[in-house]
Amino acid sequence: MARIEMKELRKVYGRGIEAVKRLDLDIEEGEFLVLVGPSGCGKTTTLRMIAGFEEPTAGEIYIDGRLVNDLEPGQRNLGMVFQNLALFPHKTVAENIEFGPRMKKVPPEVRGRRVREAAEMVRITHLLGKLPGQCSGGEAQRVALARTLVTEPGAFLLDEPLSSLDAKLRREMRAEIDRLHQRLKKTFIYVTHDQEEAMTLADRIVVMRNGLIEQVGSPMQIYGDPVSHFVADFFGSPSMNLIGGQVSHEGGRARFEAPGLAVELPPALARAAAGETTLGIRPEHLEISGNGGVFRGEVRLVEPLGKDTLLYFDRGGDQPLIAVVEGTRSYREGDVLNLSVDPGRLYLFGWDGKRVR
Amino acid sequence: MKRTMKRRLFAAGRFFLLGIALFVVGFPMYWMLITSFKPDHEWFTWPPVYWSENWTLDNYRVVWAGIGIKPTAQEATTMQKPVQALKHSLALSLISTTLSVAFGTLVAYGVSRYQILSDRRMFNLLMLRMVPPIVVAAPLTLYYSTLQLLDTLTGLVIVYVLTTLPYSIWMTKSFLDEIPREMEQAASILGAGRWRTIWEVIFPLIRSGVVATFLFILILTWSEYLLALILSKVDVVTLPVQLSKYEGTTEGRVYGYQAALAVGVTLPLIVIGCFIRKHLVRGFSFGMIKR
Amino acid sequence: MAQALPTRKAAPGFTLFKWILLGPLFGLLLFILPAFLLQLYFSFHSWTVYLGSWWEAEFVGLGMFIEVLMDSRFWWAVLRSLTFASLSTLGSFAAGFGLALLMHRPFRGHGLLYAVFILPMLTVPVVIAYTFEMLLFQRGPINGILSVLLQTDVRVTWLAHPAIAVFTVIMLEIWNWTPFVFIIMLAGLASLPPELDEAARILGASRWRIFREVQLPLLRPVIMLALILRFLEAMGEFPKTWGLLQGGPGSASETLPVYLFLTTWQYFHISKGAAMSYLVLIFTIVIVLAGIRLLRKEKQTIDVIYRKPGEEA
Repeated sequence: MARIEMKELRKVYGRGIEAVKRLDLDIEEGEFLVLVGPSGCGKTTTLRMIAGFEEPTAGEIYIDGRLVNDLEPGQRNLGMVFQNLALFPHKTVAENIEFGPRMKKVPPEVRGRRVREAAEMVRITHLLGKLPGQCSGGEAQRVALARTLVTEPGAFLLDEPLSSLDAKLRREMRAEIDRLHQRLKKTFIYVTHDQEEAMTLADRIVVMRNGLIEQVGSPMQIYGDPVSHFVADFFGSPSMNLIGGQVSHEGGRARFEAPGLAVELPPALARAAAGETTLGIRPEHLEISGNGGVFRGEVRLVEPLGKDTLLYFDRGGDQPLIAVVEGTRSYREGDVLNLSVDPGRLYLFGWDGKRVR
Repeated sequence: MKRTMKRRLFAAGRFFLLGIALFVVGFPMYWMLITSFKPDHEWFTWPPVYWSENWTLDNYRVVWAGIGIKPTAQEATTMQKPVQALKHSLALSLISTTLSVAFGTLVAYGVSRYQILSDRRMFNLLMLRMVPPIVVAAPLTLYYSTLQLLDTLTGLVIVYVLTTLPYSIWMTKSFLDEIPREMEQAASILGAGRWRTIWEVIFPLIRSGVVATFLFILILTWSEYLLALILSKVDVVTLPVQLSKYEGTTEGRVYGYQAALAVGVTLPLIVIGCFIRKHLVRGFSFGMIKR
Repeated sequence: MAQALPTRKAAPGFTLFKWILLGPLFGLLLFILPAFLLQLYFSFHSWTVYLGSWWEAEFVGLGMFIEVLMDSRFWWAVLRSLTFASLSTLGSFAAGFGLALLMHRPFRGHGLLYAVFILPMLTVPVVIAYTFEMLLFQRGPINGILSVLLQTDVRVTWLAHPAIAVFTVIMLEIWNWTPFVFIIMLAGLASLPPELDEAARILGASRWRIFREVQLPLLRPVIMLALILRFLEAMGEFPKTWGLLQGGPGSASETLPVYLFLTTWQYFHISKGAAMSYLVLIFTIVIVLAGIRLLRKEKQTIDVIYRKPGEEA
């Protein structure tokens, strides 16, 4: 079991590039933690520091209470799945899987058994004699997984393992990884830039941006209670409608106005400062109403996705307003519709990006 | 600090080994250089002069400009030759290298894109160069003397082009292989013909590689000794051959002059080498390296 | 490896295109061909320069070839060449590979060191011969430095004693061509995917294990390339052996190229030289063909190993 603590972690590269500015994070035993954020936010650097491939410029990393800064990657009892898999191309699948136990001097009979067990766990027993080059993308993924599973580490590190797969394979492998986590009950630290992966796999999500942690929470917290404009925008597909406008106060009530859209703010948001603000509404919370509502406009584009349909409205700003309706309802380009929203589903973000509560 | 200690140890070890290598590589060159500036009374001292206080340009003057000493008649003829030899070397190297690279690029393009030569033939080509030149020298002498090509620039050019083509084809090919086929496909869809595509699309992209190949082959042709020795007599003496004749004539060990001559012969190559050094790694894969 | 565009082959004008590209190469080869036929003629006819015109030379069948094969001096030369080539190849390989391993990861000043380390390859071999003659002079700097290091007067005559002379010329060859191996091995090391090293590390492998099990096997094609190319070139080395020692002292450094040179251009036994050239040519071609087969096999292995998972064969 591995509990990982990072205190004041910092990583600066040669030319003053701060990949990680300051990181304080405790990872619980057995949890599935996802580090997510745009490229360059520091998530991979953080993972590599945990693994030991990068040395922190400052700060400490503890695994199970033990300071590991000075330990080699092989001494930290960790397993890692790399983005491009890093399977040894000249060794067979069996030899690849067997590599870790061999390095730890596990006797041959025990080794053979463990290799078979690992192969069974990810269902690649039929591939044991093949070379990685002879396996398909999904199969190679599983080999990479088996190779780390067999060493029985305290925690697993996964660096964007699914980014090179096609959509369907990605979903399958995601389920596979989830299944493994349920079964093994070990700590998983997973890095991705895909918010959907983060949402589906994580027990807890750590959103990173520019070398700092933006927000930490469960998927529902991140989704429903974003702490900033950035987090709100990053999660959700299609992304949250973010509308720039003005808040004004009138007779004890607060009101938000933007070109083409006006909404009265609920009491919870009545204390919002007047002036420039951004209003956030998730597309799935916009409803087609008969009359009234917050917006009235013409449908510019209809995107049928099967289960849902996306409707794009021109708002006069540079971004269209997007609403999600059930796929069974059919609307056409040119239809003029009214949109309304439950006031409890409104998000307000100040000029500094932070959420107004 | 076990890990950082290990790292420091390795760094120190590496520093030490590289230092030795640096000395082994650098000292001969250093010696050649300073000897060329030494006055004659410092050529044979014991212990040797590692750093001269009395450095002079006399050696260069004598060797390259032909002034300053009174040689014997026999010495005179040999010792005035370096400048002429320089001209011959320049002409020979530049012409044969240009032809070799030009032909080589064409063939390399055909092989890279259309596989006009099979893998096997390509290796045979490389091995062509591996045959000891001495073996080729004898037949060539006879042949050339019959054709009146002995001691001519043309004769040497032909041989040099042939012996350097394998390298120029292989190196250019490895640079070409770095360019994705989609480039030409895009040009083709936009209506460009084959030759235009080569000229306007491909060539600019491999320009640096071609330059590097050119310079590398220039080095090869410039330093070639055996064939130049055998296939020339008086008219097309190149620098390396001239150097050995110089050696032969001045048996009295004129170290200073030798060094001045050596520096003159080698300096252009070193300058060239400095320019192309980054490209050498890319060009030297000979099909054994996947990128 | 770039793939061919198969449909293009059938297009008209392609054959013309192909021959335009290959033209000069074939033209040159055809031009040179008669030289070898002429050579063949001479190896079957007895002739030296002292006899009359060459087309009146007497036919001796395989006589010349037999004379060469019975010549013990010839076989000694073969032996010397093989020794010279093997030892210098191993030496330059060890040095070149070692340097490549040391320089593989970038560090401060590494570009400058790289530039210096390739210098020996850029030096004209004849120049190397004469420069080292200066260095190895009895009262020269090498003895001077050794004297300082060993605190006694060192007066080795590097070029006068047969065994030492041979050792010296082997060292020269190593000095001259280590950069060649260095560059090739650098290219090879650079082409190894860095994640393999990391994956092995986190699986607990020591540096030595990683070298032996991950790096070395993947470097095999490049290693073979360096060894084969270097060996063949060393077999044909001439400028340094001739320039420095002229085959001496005695005949200690009389390698094949030197002996061939002497036979044809000093003793003027043209026919014997012709026959010898042919034998050496055949001998070399055999080695070369073996080398080609090895390299092609390595290339095929590379193609299989590096096929990405999921790619079609």
